[in-house]
Amino acid sequence: MLSTVHLMNISLPILYIFTFGAYWYDFTHEKKNLSNSKRIFLFVTVVIHVFYLIVRTIEFNHTPITSKFEIFTVLAFCIAFSYFILELLTDIRGTGLFIILFSLIFQILSSIFIEDLLEVNELLRNRLLGLHVISAICGYTGITISAVYGVLFIILYKSLKLSKFGLIFKRLPSLETLEKLSFYSLVIGFIFLTIAIIIGSIWLPAAFPNFSFLDPKLISTGIVWIIYGAGIVAKLAASWYGKKVITFSLVGFIMAIISLILGQFLQNSFHMFT
Amino acid sequence: MNLVGITINHKTAPIELREALHLSKDEILELIPVLKKESLSEGFILSTCNRTEIFGFPKDGKLNYQQIQNSLLDFKPIKNIKPENFDKFFSCSAVKHIFAVSAGIDSLIIGDSQILGQLKDAFEVSEDMNFTDPILKRIFDTTIKVGKRAIRETEIGEGAVSVSYAAVQVVEKIFANISMKNALVIGAGETGELAAVHLRDKGVTDITVTNRTLDRAEKLAEKIHGKVVHFNDFKNHLYEYDIIVSATSSDTFIINKDDIKAVMKKRRGSPICIMDIAIPRDVDPSVKNIDNVFYNDIDSLNFIVEENLRKRKDEIPKVNNIILDEMVGFFGWYNTLEVVPVIKSVRNFFDDIANDELTKLRNKVSNEDYIKVEEMTKRLLGRLLHNPTIKLRELAETGVNAQDTVNHTLIVKELFGLENPNDKNGSNKIEE
Repeated sequence: MLSTVHLMNISLPILYIFTFGAYWYDFTHEKKNLSNSKRIFLFVTVVIHVFYLIVRTIEFNHTPITSKFEIFTVLAFCIAFSYFILELLTDIRGTGLFIILFSLIFQILSSIFIEDLLEVNELLRNRLLGLHVISAICGYTGITISAVYGVLFIILYKSLKLSKFGLIFKRLPSLETLEKLSFYSLVIGFIFLTIAIIIGSIWLPAAFPNFSFLDPKLISTGIVWIIYGAGIVAKLAASWYGKKVITFSLVGFIMAIISLILGQFLQNSFHMFT
Repeated sequence: MNLVGITINHKTAPIELREALHLSKDEILELIPVLKKESLSEGFILSTCNRTEIFGFPKDGKLNYQQIQNSLLDFKPIKNIKPENFDKFFSCSAVKHIFAVSAGIDSLIIGDSQILGQLKDAFEVSEDMNFTDPILKRIFDTTIKVGKRAIRETEIGEGAVSVSYAAVQVVEKIFANISMKNALVIGAGETGELAAVHLRDKGVTDITVTNRTLDRAEKLAEKIHGKVVHFNDFKNHLYEYDIIVSATSSDTFIINKDDIKAVMKKRRGSPICIMDIAIPRDVDPSVKNIDNVFYNDIDSLNFIVEENLRKRKDEIPKVNNIILDEMVGFFGWYNTLEVVPVIKSVRNFFDDIANDELTKLRNKVSNEDYIKVEEMTKRLLGRLLHNPTIKLRELAETGVNAQDTVNHTLIVKELFGLENPNDKNGSNKIEE
């Protein structure tokens, strides 16, 4: 079974490269016959990824959420799966290239650095931690997709303002659609992040004697949460439109990435498990 | 094949002549009996704003383009028309031309999709007037097939090829559902009207028209089921509209930056799309510097049109391949038509022998036995002729090798001593 895990660990980045290639080719050439084939590529990749996560869980006797690179592969899967569902529901096919790129990056990082963890910290087997991590992954999936649509919105906005009617103009959906997709993903991401924070706040003080609410990881996560919350309120209450709301999504995403990096480099944070 | 045709179109004649020779449906209904009487046994007439064409089979088998031309010009006399204003086609070139027209590659605007519908109407009129035969019917069917294949298999009809349609395409890139948006069309001239019609066709139901002359605005509003706002008052309502299309003949800007700034304040930043398709421009182009204002003038929209036209031209070789493909199929079918009467003659030949022998037997056996022998004879003939009939029919239907088909039919005729079925009938009748 271990050899299967290793083989799939190598195969997954290749599969994501092929899927990304199919989406890239379709985006630049828009061949009618490739429009459905790329979806099949993505479906196969997602199914094999699920299989990989199951096999890995069985082989190592823990859910793959105990290290950054295990979480990265789950995140890659969540982003790809969410996009697959989104494409099925909305039939908007021109944006997959940009979202699958993130799955590809996370999976490549995971495949390179992931280790065979047979023994894990007992703390990491806790159910509340499981819920905390899964909610956080769903939250990060939401904000990643929101940020991608946000960037696409800005690019299309600029194209339209400058009257440039190139590939971006032809392939992307309307500005209003991109704004909606970005906002809905942001709301979903925000809800999951809130759940992750609530569970974390309940479980962390009990699990860690050195827990502090002034931990840099908690502060940066709090800032991210406030930025997203402000963006949602601005949109819903003040009827903000377009670029202003998108700016919240992008700033929030950049902060979230900084928060992840901070967690990596600040060794004195309690938020280090391995 | 004796198919002949004449055409006057945008390649051969100026618009004045094309307009003068344009035939309404009623006129076509009147002209067909004239053609039937004077020149063609079967045919059809296509008349659009860019072309008038008459195709058909000569009545007495003689190829006389002048006679068809005369029939048309006698029916609709016009001055200053020259022989070179007419293009003429015969047989293979005639079929190819009809296919090219249906695929839109012979149109003034390449890839024009309306022509296919206009051809369908022309064919229907011809059928209603009993002006068709099986060969022409087959040409009609293949023509429609070519048109559909061109649309389905190529990008000959893709993209906007008029400024007003390009404007609507840009609007669609800003708003997700333009049917939920409201639009103001400033100027009720030809360009404004075209833009208003395109917006309505795309589902915009709330369209308001304004024009210096109120009458014209009202007429256009009536046509598109829209509303009217007085020209002196439209600026007070500008903030209400998500889409503004301006197409007046004003020499100066009628909307300036301050107007749009005020509009955006009232709209609380909600996006607005301004399409200035007037020459000279109606809207100060500096409005594009305001956030969420999407401004395009005729130059930027022309860029879309030119790009799309270039792409359509690039698709012409693919369409030509489709035409060639269908021509091979059509002429394959046509070349094997001779087989069908031969099959019929062979069957008649055997039926005659069987009937002869049965007649001789009629009074020599009991009624019961006669019925049995008659049934057995029918079964026997059926089985004997099944394979040759099927083989000959296959040749007729697939029509891959015309020479092969001719050889087969000659052998069959010689073996059974059949006279030429065409000679017997004295005509070239074909069964469907």
